[in-house]
Amino acid sequence: MDFTFPKEYELFRRMVREFAENEVRPLAKKIDAEHRVPFETIKKAAKLGLMGVPFPRKYGGCGAGEIGYCILMEELGRVCTSTATVIGAHTGIGAMAIYLDGTEEQKEKYLKPLASGEKIGAFALTEAQAGSDAAAIKTRAVRDGDYYVLNGSKCFITNGDIADIITVMAVTDPSLGARGGVTAFIVEKEFPGFSIGTLENKMGIRGSSTAELIFEDCRVPKENVLGQFGAGFITFMKTLDVGRASLAAACLGGAQAAMEAAMKWAKARTQFGVPIAQKQSVHFAIADMATEIEALRSLVYRTAWLIDTGQPHIKEAAMCKLYGSEVASRCINRTLQIFGGMGYSREFWVERAFRDARIAEIFEGTNEIQRIVIASNLFRELGLRISP
Amino acid sequence: MRIIVPIRQILDPRGFTVSPRHERIFINREEYIINPNDKNALEVALSLKDAGDAEVIVIAGGQARLDDALREAMAMGADAAYLLTDEVLAKTDAAGVAEALARGIEKIGDFDLIVVGQETLDTADALLGPWLAEYFGVAQVGGVRQASVSDGVLRVRRDWGAGYAEVEVALPALLTVAPGANKPRYPHGGRIMAAYREWQVNIWGSEDLGLSAADLILLTQRRGRTFPPERTLGERLTGSPQDVAAELVQQLRLRGLVG
Amino acid sequence: MTVIYKVTVTLTCGRIIMDFALTDEQRMFQKMFADFAEKEVKPIGEQADYEELLPMEVLQKAAMQGFMGALFPEECSGACLDFVSYIMLLEELAKADVTTAMAVSVHNGLAGKTILDFGSAEQREKYLEPMAFGEMIGAFALTEPAAGSDAAALESTALRDGDDYVLNGNKIWVSNGGIAGLFVVFAKTDPGAGAKGISAFIVERDAPGLKVGRREKTLGLRGLTITPLYMTDCRVPAANLLGEEGQGFKIALQALNVARLSLSAVALGACQRAVEEGIAFSIEHTQFGGPIALKQAIQNFVADSAAEIEGLRWLVYHTAWLAEQGEPFAQEAAIAKLLASEAAFRIANRMVQVHGGYGYMKEYAIERIYRDTRALPIIEGANEVLRFVIARDLYDQAGLKIKP
Ligand SMILES: Cc1cc2nc3c(=O)[nH]c(=O)nc-3n(C[C@H](O)[C@H](O)[C@H](O)COP(=O)(O)OP(=O)(O)OC[C@H]3O[C@@H](n4cnc5c(N)ncnc54)[C@H](O)[C@@H]3O)c2cc1C
Ligand SMILES: Cc1cc2nc3c(=O)[nH]c(=O)nc-3n(C[C@H](O)[C@H](O)[C@H](O)COP(=O)(O)OP(=O)(O)OC[C@H]3O[C@@H](n4cnc5c(N)ncnc54)[C@H](O)[C@@H]3O)c2cc1C
Repeated sequence: MDFTFPKEYELFRRMVREFAENEVRPLAKKIDAEHRVPFETIKKAAKLGLMGVPFPRKYGGCGAGEIGYCILMEELGRVCTSTATVIGAHTGIGAMAIYLDGTEEQKEKYLKPLASGEKIGAFALTEAQAGSDAAAIKTRAVRDGDYYVLNGSKCFITNGDIADIITVMAVTDPSLGARGGVTAFIVEKEFPGFSIGTLENKMGIRGSSTAELIFEDCRVPKENVLGQFGAGFITFMKTLDVGRASLAAACLGGAQAAMEAAMKWAKARTQFGVPIAQKQSVHFAIADMATEIEALRSLVYRTAWLIDTGQPHIKEAAMCKLYGSEVASRCINRTLQIFGGMGYSREFWVERAFRDARIAEIFEGTNEIQRIVIASNLFRELGLRISP
Repeated sequence: MRIIVPIRQILDPRGFTVSPRHERIFINREEYIINPNDKNALEVALSLKDAGDAEVIVIAGGQARLDDALREAMAMGADAAYLLTDEVLAKTDAAGVAEALARGIEKIGDFDLIVVGQETLDTADALLGPWLAEYFGVAQVGGVRQASVSDGVLRVRRDWGAGYAEVEVALPALLTVAPGANKPRYPHGGRIMAAYREWQVNIWGSEDLGLSAADLILLTQRRGRTFPPERTLGERLTGSPQDVAAELVQQLRLRGLVG
Repeated sequence: MTVIYKVTVTLTCGRIIMDFALTDEQRMFQKMFADFAEKEVKPIGEQADYEELLPMEVLQKAAMQGFMGALFPEECSGACLDFVSYIMLLEELAKADVTTAMAVSVHNGLAGKTILDFGSAEQREKYLEPMAFGEMIGAFALTEPAAGSDAAALESTALRDGDDYVLNGNKIWVSNGGIAGLFVVFAKTDPGAGAKGISAFIVERDAPGLKVGRREKTLGLRGLTITPLYMTDCRVPAANLLGEEGQGFKIALQALNVARLSLSAVALGACQRAVEEGIAFSIEHTQFGGPIALKQAIQNFVADSAAEIEGLRWLVYHTAWLAEQGEPFAQEAAIAKLLASEAAFRIANRMVQVHGGYGYMKEYAIERIYRDTRALPIIEGANEVLRFVIARDLYDQAGLKIKP
């Protein structure tokens, strides 16, 4: 057994950390306050291959696999969850679907510009009435000659308004339901009939955009069917499985940063004549954080290793997402408390990190859904199917 | 055009603290990084490559761990790497390394330009540039900030008093680059993976260079160390200017120094 | 959600041993508070958060109902509410909007009640009436950059100069600072004497040498206009000394007892609103072919929250009742604040979860409630310090002195 990172990952982490510290951190507060996507960061990230970390080099990626991608997310999560979210939606789910299920031509045409960061990607599954229950999507795709015609709308789509290439799930045969009746499509923003609806005003990750997408007789060429016709459900399940591990990596970074900030603050802040770092309330909070973070780190990178080595990982990925998001929220919550009134102030990183962290328990499948995934995988081993 | 860039390594200063009071160096994390000034040199070379047709070769001499430095340099954009190491070379000093590097560069073949970082951050010795220029008998320009090539002539911007001077040099030549001359690029993510998984570092030992332990008598000798007088350190704030300013105001407020 | 059960526990022999019933008057008040909150306060919550300012009209309207002099006697134009009714007022306001409830609580409890309890006849006459009419909003300035949890470490000074005191120093985190007409300010009249050297003053907003600083931008309670105060040779007439010199810390502690009780009521209201929002959303919102309310995960969230609320309600009301009886209630107030503030945030957090992605959007009230309630475990004594306060009391009784 060997738990050390190979040297390429050590160097990769060092590079990403420097990038995060020097290029991402200085903008983090600003993009939150101004509610805008950091295009300048995306451009710089693209130059370093950071928009396509997990994909093979032949598609313009870094060839760093899920482990490398988790390192990227962890380091971004330390400084700016918004940036991690923009890159995450682009890479971890948007482009990932094409990588996992695309044909060689599709990869050539779409994955390459996505991986190189020339184009931005998004992943559109959720609809107003189909969040956790993804099978309830209503967006319809009907064959018309060499095209499919899409009608419907998607909501809460990260990068939806800035993406050039969007992976969209639509119903191709309502009679078949989720298994067999849903197909994934690659939609370019220029396709006729595609438009962007309202943008959401969110609690946090305000440096990422969340958009409504509208399809009105949107014509998608039939070559843009992603994966097997009718097997869209499988495509997005596979994609989300991979996305979840990396989302947890971003949480890991956030939690670690929270703990470090709490320690620094506790050391500097004196009350009752001593630094509050001398108080057991603080010690125990730090110890709990450190323990949870260490457990999370092991879970995340082991799951990434499962993914990279082609082993089953659905349950573990769900555990990553569940535990990671809760650890991050708990840690930043404790840190806010240790900062006292200053933690409540928007002058500091803590307040923003607190708002940002909350999303991870909700998106890419709520934590309740993760629990259902975990439980259903476990019960399946006993031969019992459970319904959500 | 072939450009040679020697690379040296130092202990990451963020990984240790020097305690004048205890007259000790506390190493928390032993990690070696490329000498920052050598990264400036590499950046000058890589920008020449960006601008035209050039091959950038990095070379390092001394301990085996320099392998990591060379791979990082390749990840930043260097095309090939040579590591001069064996038991003899690992034990020599800066002058011995300089001699080995000279022989190594000679063995690689013809070059148009050598770009060297002016000094190392740890021991601040600045002998490599002059040593190599002397060895090869080529023109040397110091304090370099930027370089460009047109029609076989190298145009260099170098420090000149409080300002700059533009000089032209015929090739082959050697440049020593000023510390902080530029912002070195980050290694590219994909190249990092390739640097370890696909690409090779060529290794030569002292024998390949025609050197023996006898040729590499230490010119320097370490007699011990002294520490600067203790001084009370302030607190260092990091982050963006806005963050630092906010933090500073906060810290001043906390200490009741401003309202 | 508001149901106050009329429960009378009787022994078989007919003696009443405990009475949880509200009086008819209290029930009437409760309805009035609820109506007011629903009609006047609830609609402004989102806007106050967005504009980071509480509309003054709300406080004016509250004043017209007597809510800005809730605890003051009738001769000061107050509503003369008993503590239980006052607690219900805050609870109802908080159901509508946590920020408004906090503003009213700081005004009535921390500022008004302090003047009422410790002020001279002249001070009461001069300040309580305009406060009751909402013409002068009250604020409470104790915290300083170096003195948060350790309030006794405050460094502001107040030195006697003829008929005046001259105040110097800085205060931070003054709720209502942006709109207040008067501040109850704590400063040392005897800088060498520690907590015993602290005195309290009524400082009017236009006092020479007083500057109200730029508003603190916060996670939540954005309408509360929290500001720093800068006092540079700020002259305050000696007549504005509250109580006696050196009595300041005692005044602050008593004010904080009331404030903790008040805060627990605010938290209680916030809890109920959060659950209301969660229940409504989970009924409306369909996934997997039915309202998400049909899922046990959601039901459990609601049930756990309701159980906590029910426990809290009686803790908070009982503490108010103790206060009303003139019994000591510091320990109970600390316990109520500790439990209620954590419950409020925990429940808001759960209800965000119930809302799924919608809980993250500013369109939904729960997003704001989540941010607002996060202040509660910090203010009026950070919870870690309250734990100390509670333990200290218990160890005191057991004969051991402990230090923070
Ligand atoms: C900022 C943001 C960015 C997003 N980005 C994307 C994106 O890029 N692409 C995309 O496709 N989607 C995206 N989403 C959508 C996100 O994945 C959904 O919000 C999420 O899946 C939850 O769906 P919902 O919001 O409809 O909540 P619901 O599914 O309605 O859930 C409401 C509550 O009910 C619970 N619940 C639901 N079903 C069950 C059950 N069977 N058992 C127990 N509890 C249950 C949930 O856990 C939750 O607590 C984004 C959302 C947000 C907020
Ligand atoms: C929204 C808001 C409104 C406010 N309004 C007012 C107001 O109107 N008037 C006013 O005077 N103040 C107000 N405050 C200030 C508030 O009362 C202080 O923030 C609070 O007392 C905590 O002090 P601090 O922020 O300095 O934190 P600190 O005292 O620095 O505490 C930092 C952390 O250390 C912990 N800690 C401190 N001492 C100990 C110990 N001995 N043992 C264990 N843990 C310890 C604390 O619990 C906390 O977690 C307000 C604050 C906020 C956030």
